[in-house]
Amino acid sequence: MELEEEVPKQNYSEKEKGEIFNQEFLPHINSMYNFGYRLTLDRDDAKDLVQDTYLKAYRFVESFQKGTNAKAWLFRILKNSFINDYRKKSKEPAKVDYQEVETYYNSEEVDRQITPDLRVESLKDMIGDEISNALNSLDVDFKTVIILCDLEGFKYEEMAKILDIPIGTVRSRLHRARNLLKEKLSEYAKSMGYNKA
Amino acid sequence: MNNPTNPFAKPDQQKPTCMEMLQTILDGQATEEQRKYFKMHMDHCMPCYKSYDLDMSLKQLVQSKCCGGAAPSDLIEKIKQQIEQKSS
Ligand SMILES: [Zn+2]
Repeated sequence: MELEEEVPKQNYSEKEKGEIFNQEFLPHINSMYNFGYRLTLDRDDAKDLVQDTYLKAYRFVESFQKGTNAKAWLFRILKNSFINDYRKKSKEPAKVDYQEVETYYNSEEVDRQITPDLRVESLKDMIGDEISNALNSLDVDFKTVIILCDLEGFKYEEMAKILDIPIGTVRSRLHRARNLLKEKLSEYAKSMGYNKA
Repeated sequence: MNNPTNPFAKPDQQKPTCMEMLQTILDGQATEEQRKYFKMHMDHCMPCYKSYDLDMSLKQLVQSKCCGGAAPSDLIEKIKQQIEQKSS
């Protein structure tokens, strides 16, 4: 995958620009909108964010190399717009502390114990909005990795570039994000009486 | 297990933990060889077997419940209009 800083400026004609936009950028609009919505939790804000992303993509189309991973490039722009514009506006609290996360590989036993008690059977009962709500309720950094990996199928290397973090951090953040999601769902399960232990 | 050719082994020959193997599988990062190895591993590792089942179900549920469908129908038109305005 190539991102803007590594690629020499391309020289596209107006016609080529339009083709790239229509054929490589626009087909991702549903994924982009879903990502925008999950980040902002507001349909109008999501629209603005996606619109803004596409305008930027068009403006900087010469930094995009035809035939490379357009989807990753767009996701990166959207995520940066969200952090730089939207997040500032809404004055979200500072990022969570990841210190504890980095040590998790050395504490497998501990981790197994704190992994929430959630069963496959309880999951299968969650046919409404439980999963979606649980995902939405996670901190932005955690829901982002789940969206990129589980919904959009990005690989570690692509995620690392989209998010500007090392691959090791992608891994540990995903691991933590999944456990948080399970925790949320096991709370739901408990409150709904699914876990009859 | 004393399998000398664990395909999950790291360059420094360190033995990967169950959790690391499981995550590689879950995140869609595993090679064919690694998937085969893990399948066999699950036959004799109950924690992996159980976690795999739960984590895979969760991943599938997330996919089916959180994809969100289509963007609003007027969004593409709006974007195109804005671009035309700017480039004219
Ligand atoms: Zn195992």
